[in-house]
Amino acid sequence: MAGEERRYFDEIQVGEEYLSPGRTVTEADIVIFAGLSGDYNVLHTDAEFMKTSIFGERIAHGLLGLAIQSGLLTRGMRPFATIAFLGLRWKFKGPIKIGDTITVRAKVLEKRDTAKPDRGIITLQRQVLNQKGEVVQEGETDVMVERRPR
Amino acid sequence: MFYFEDVVVGEPLETPALTLTEAHVVGYAGLTGEWEPRSTDEVASHRSEGGGRAVPDLLPICLSSGLGWRAPQPPLAILAFMGFEWTFALPLRLGDTIRSRSRTVAKRSMKDGGVVVEEREILNQRGEVVQSGRLTLLVAKRARK
Repeated sequence: MAGEERRYFDEIQVGEEYLSPGRTVTEADIVIFAGLSGDYNVLHTDAEFMKTSIFGERIAHGLLGLAIQSGLLTRGMRPFATIAFLGLRWKFKGPIKIGDTITVRAKVLEKRDTAKPDRGIITLQRQVLNQKGEVVQEGETDVMVERRPR
Repeated sequence: MFYFEDVVVGEPLETPALTLTEAHVVGYAGLTGEWEPRSTDEVASHRSEGGGRAVPDLLPICLSSGLGWRAPQPPLAILAFMGFEWTFALPLRLGDTIRSRSRTVAKRSMKDGGVVVEEREILNQRGEVVQSGRLTLLVAKRARK
């Protein structure tokens, strides 16, 4: 968003929570992601084969769900003054099917100092929920964030 | 197809390479709705270290799963991606060329299929590890005759 102020490490509090708007995951999302990534696994692209699977239909790529939640949460919070994305720990707990609507719930879990005084590390806990309130993906992301310049 | 029984612990697998283009970055931003200035604002990106638009951090792992399908080995019969841990070591910029290198570090048989733990690294054109981590996959067993 134009002119949207980025939040510095100092201003972000442990325990803060954020909630994204909902987003319906469509067949188009899956087709575009298959084309972009080159991952044409039958799980995501063969409707007939998937009728015989435990899911009964095509499901979204796990990494598509991860990528969508990342963009979706930016619509539910003011951006951090992020220097770098350091890493993540992530679990895919259930399928996202065509037509499912997901939301992202996140919470600041931890703030850590670093050797450099102008920055710190923030760990966010994230849950991706479907329209039934089931957690389909969850994990933690670590980002390096600037402190307010003196 | 490469089934659970075919997976050999320790055997390395290297994918072909792929050049990261503006089309990848714009397509990814549109699909995900993640419009970070560092990857979509040419002017702002020059104020940061390195300079120039960066590739969104999660895009390379997405591309590496597609590259895996082009490796010189039949594709793994993946039933589900269970989870992964991932570290971002170095940024990637438009025009960089990535490839991925992986090997199975553990496998565990289950009733239906088995769990395979894979270590994966994404390398740039200079051979530097830019991202790496450990993936846990549920893989199908060969159907009994």
